[in-house]
Amino acid sequence: MRLLFIILFFSSFTFSAEGDFNCGTIECDNFSADTTDLASLQSGLTTYMNNCYGCHSLKYSRYNRVAKDLKIPIEIYQENLIFDGSKPGELMNISLNEKDAVEWIGAKPPDLTLEARIRKPEWIYTYLRTYYPDASRPYGVNNRVYQNVSMPNVLEDLQLNLSAAEFDKVIYDLTNFLVYVADPSANERKRIGVYVLLFLLLFTSFAYLTYREFKKELK
Amino acid sequence: MAANEKNSGGIVNWFDTRFPVTDLLERHLSKYPAPTNLNFWYLFGFLMIVVLAMQILTGLWLMMNYTNTAEEAFSSVEYIMRDVEYGWLLRYMHAAGASAFFALIYLHMFRGMMYGSYRKPRELIWVGGWVTYVLLCAEGFTGYVLPWGQMSFWAAQVIISLLGSIPIIGEDLATWIRGDYLISGITLSRLFAFHVVLLPIMIIAVVFFHILALHEIGSNNPDGIDIKKHVDKDGVPLDSKPFYPYDITHDIYALGVFLLIFCSVVFFFPEGGGYVLEYVNFEPANPLSTPAHIVPSWYFTPFYAMLRAVDFALFGFTAKFLGFVTMAAGIAIFAALPWLDRSPVKSIRYKGILSKAFLAGFVVSFFVLGYLGAVPPSDLKNLLAKVFTVVYFSYFLLMPIYTRLEKCKPVPERAPGH
Repeated sequence: MRLLFIILFFSSFTFSAEGDFNCGTIECDNFSADTTDLASLQSGLTTYMNNCYGCHSLKYSRYNRVAKDLKIPIEIYQENLIFDGSKPGELMNISLNEKDAVEWIGAKPPDLTLEARIRKPEWIYTYLRTYYPDASRPYGVNNRVYQNVSMPNVLEDLQLNLSAAEFDKVIYDLTNFLVYVADPSANERKRIGVYVLLFLLLFTSFAYLTYREFKKELK
Repeated sequence: MAANEKNSGGIVNWFDTRFPVTDLLERHLSKYPAPTNLNFWYLFGFLMIVVLAMQILTGLWLMMNYTNTAEEAFSSVEYIMRDVEYGWLLRYMHAAGASAFFALIYLHMFRGMMYGSYRKPRELIWVGGWVTYVLLCAEGFTGYVLPWGQMSFWAAQVIISLLGSIPIIGEDLATWIRGDYLISGITLSRLFAFHVVLLPIMIIAVVFFHILALHEIGSNNPDGIDIKKHVDKDGVPLDSKPFYPYDITHDIYALGVFLLIFCSVVFFFPEGGGYVLEYVNFEPANPLSTPAHIVPSWYFTPFYAMLRAVDFALFGFTAKFLGFVTMAAGIAIFAALPWLDRSPVKSIRYKGILSKAFLAGFVVSFFVLGYLGAVPPSDLKNLLAKVFTVVYFSYFLLMPIYTRLEKCKPVPERAPGH
């Protein structure tokens, strides 16, 4: 009887696994973030500020925090990547308001600070690379991951002018940047974590030896 | 008095003659006689005290930076994560701490169920522990709402709307609890007040009672024997050892192992695969957009599966109300254990095959329901949830019968290997 339950139990896993794809109409491409690759993050930031930031704010993040983490001198950052005269300590808000956005595009483009945590990075990476022509849509494009998406293919110029491998790299860097900005303390967290675990290993070893010593005494 | 006069002079003596500090510390800590046969399962109580202290401290610091309004709550959490020094650490520790607390309390409760720790004369200790668990559920739920993400909002919506299913008074009760006709900023700030003031005070008070009562009556042990039957000339049980240094060293070793696991999660997997921090909850609460799958935290999923399993109306009650009652009964029924168990022995080690089978059935059903409550429903899963809800309750409700029917093994007089 119990065996029957166990079989039923595990069969329910397989039922849930089949059916839907994890990236809309297709499977997600592999993506492995590396938030220690500063060159990649800087390239991703540049792509973001030049192509995405007009509509998508990063309103929980601050300019100078990104500059500091990505090791970009603040003067250079201010000159090249702050377009609206914001101060370096300000949150990365955009001027597009909801009313205008709804009027112009039909919906307010979401803030993307936490996008890489809400959706998986591999989703973003696949999504941005799977636009295709579709005359039935307002902007003439559709997307394999996000069916009938209202966002136009903003990166079309890059997609047409770069080789496939070069374009993939641009999107990799952009996604990598979004992974960074969703959890900017991750690098520091992991760095400290190593020391914490090493200390705890030492602590636990000594605690075990003490415990063993007293246990012997008890016999 | 007589004992205190031996230590002449000194600060300790000054206090002891006015308040028995030494006596209290000795009775509750250093000289507390713990059974010699305690095992791994007796470590979780200590670990929970550590986690409780950690939750209070991290919570205190989080509260210094958190804003309890619908407009600001979400961004104040991101402010903590980004702009507050080590705010990310406080937040990840507090979130993982909640999951750890539930993992530990489930293990702790299971220990009590295995070894019959709820049996006479420990009924009040068990019920006190159960009250702590119920309060912890409320604490976990209210805390879950505070980040004001999508799942915070919609989980609160689902749970509080359950009250609306109660006949006659339901809707008014739900409105009264929410303070509004929908989950709103008013609900958020009252749940915040419960989370940081009312519930912690109650939890600390009940835990204090739980530990005090335990130390007065004495710990049970894996064999369920009464160690107080055989005492030395000072009245100390022969099958016991003082808490200091024998138990405390075991507890500290266990703390090291626990912290290794806990800190691995906090520093390397702070989202815990979506179980510690749910991905959907990184999206701000939006009353106009319902998430595709609303699921509670993992520690509530067994009961959520029971709620969903009841999908039929009966005796004029709606399915929603009956599901709510089933779910509440699933939590409440633990309190009745001391009076359901009629076995002549306490520990599973000496109980018969029926007790073992039903306990195994309980464990399997708890895990299966936990899984079913976390995934989107289907016909097959709903059937399974029904079956395992029945298995779950049969452990409790049939206990008065099967504990009397089965043949038990004789319990030894003294702890093994004394």
